[in-house]
Amino acid sequence: MDGSVKVTGTPALELRSVRRVYGFGPAATTALDGVHLTVPSGRFVSLIGPSGCGKSTLLRLVAGLEQPDLGEVLVHGVTPAEACAAKMIGLVPQSPALLPWLSVLRNVTLPQKINRGAGKRRERIADFTERQTAVPDMKELLVKAGLGDALHKLPAQLSGGMRQRAAIVRAFGLRPDVLVMDEPFSALDEFTRESLQDQLLDLWEELRTTVLFVTHSVSEAVRLSDTVVVMAPNPGRIVESIDVDLPRPRGERLFGERRFHEYEDLVRERLRRAWHSEAA
Amino acid sequence: MTVADERTTAPVTKTPPPVEPSRFSLKHPRSRIAWIRPAVWLPLVVMLVLLGGLWHWGAGQLPYLLPPLSDVGGSLSDELGYYVHNALVTLGEATAGLGMGFVGAFVLAVLTSELPLVRRAVMPIAVVLNVTPLVAIAPALVVAFGFGPMPKLIITGLICFFPILINTATGLRSVPQQVLQVYRTMDASRVELLWHVRVPNALPYLFAALRIVFPLSIIGAVVAEMSASGSTGGLGTAISVASSMNQLPVVYASILVLAVMGVLLLLAVTVVERHVLHWHDSTD
Repeated sequence: MDGSVKVTGTPALELRSVRRVYGFGPAATTALDGVHLTVPSGRFVSLIGPSGCGKSTLLRLVAGLEQPDLGEVLVHGVTPAEACAAKMIGLVPQSPALLPWLSVLRNVTLPQKINRGAGKRRERIADFTERQTAVPDMKELLVKAGLGDALHKLPAQLSGGMRQRAAIVRAFGLRPDVLVMDEPFSALDEFTRESLQDQLLDLWEELRTTVLFVTHSVSEAVRLSDTVVVMAPNPGRIVESIDVDLPRPRGERLFGERRFHEYEDLVRERLRRAWHSEAA
Repeated sequence: MTVADERTTAPVTKTPPPVEPSRFSLKHPRSRIAWIRPAVWLPLVVMLVLLGGLWHWGAGQLPYLLPPLSDVGGSLSDELGYYVHNALVTLGEATAGLGMGFVGAFVLAVLTSELPLVRRAVMPIAVVLNVTPLVAIAPALVVAFGFGPMPKLIITGLICFFPILINTATGLRSVPQQVLQVYRTMDASRVELLWHVRVPNALPYLFAALRIVFPLSIIGAVVAEMSASGSTGGLGTAISVASSMNQLPVVYASILVLAVMGVLLLLAVTVVERHVLHWHDSTD
């Protein structure tokens, strides 16, 4: 099914009839098949679905960590590899993946020392003028993320939530055009998770990049996203994309609102339907 | 604080008084202060005294096997210059050989971790070289290179080579997958990845190898000196010459100097490791 949204200009993300198969012969599993997805610039999109629905595969394709067997993946009109070369993609993996020998500040500033030629490559890619690419003040960003006291601490001295915040700041520090996040909060307890969602939204309100967010949690998806993309397994595919029309900023008050729960119920119902259609 | 009230007021579990840590490194206040306590150093001292007494008794019973400790001490103090000179020769061979082995092993570790082709070609040979007793190669090297420093450097280098190669290669390749993915999405070059991620990641592994290899380097140098009997200097030569002339005090004094050298080298590695790997669990 088509997960497209009406757009003008070059979309931030475009997947056209993407297919990805792991393995060969009878042992082959189709991780993704016939996937179409178009994401306009600046939108927060969540991918949700049961295990094996290919949401992580889709994310890796966008991040240029894998190639599709069929179809096409475009990031701002160029291939993921070209987008990586221009440092247009920020990745937040499931674990914080910080370097244990560097302080928090040096962890988040290291990307600036890497692939210095990226800036020029980025200028050559279309609709550059729309985007700010000045290097942000990383200290300020860390303070905003509540890591002001931890600038010079080592990752091992921080809590799991603080480490994940540092990883998010590292990705935002690239001023990425597309931020891809692979279940970044799944290892955290619920309180930490909610406060991190708040902080993620704060940073995103300010820097306004396109976000592709993989999650297992329905309420997380509804709370964060402009669009929730529901996926189903065997083969991995997109079954529905639901626009979440709730006002921002979405603070704690949102949890009490009926419309929020209606969206949650809608997503749950679609997930269940996807699950049953597969079982049938 | 006197020793007497230290003994009465300081049970082993007591934490140091709050002013104390500032005088020491903040990172390891406990381990440094611990040595003040008799409970920590007394067992070792008692053991040393006991062993010394046992030696003294044995030397009285078997004068042809054990020299009296006083003779060993006398030889050391009378001919200090001789021992220092030979110790420096051995130390020079050991460190130069270690240096060669280190550079070779490190470069090869980087090559094998970056290029699978090199890994498949080189690793089997390195393994075979490692299981070959290098003591057996020593005489052949002496025939080939003579009594000069060359065979000693080669043997020491070879002995140090393998632990450094294996550990460094493991460290370079054990960067977590998700870390690599983060830097791959920034299109980090191989050199950038190596310099900023892989080499720092390999440092704990490298230091584990160095702890093994520093004492080994002295073994390598001594073995090489002994195989090349007729060398001009070094404690290994001193031992083989003295034992052939039945000068037991000189033999044992040389052994003692070697042991002290080994301890000092190990201490040097530990000090450097603490500074370089302050972030790593192993230095806590």
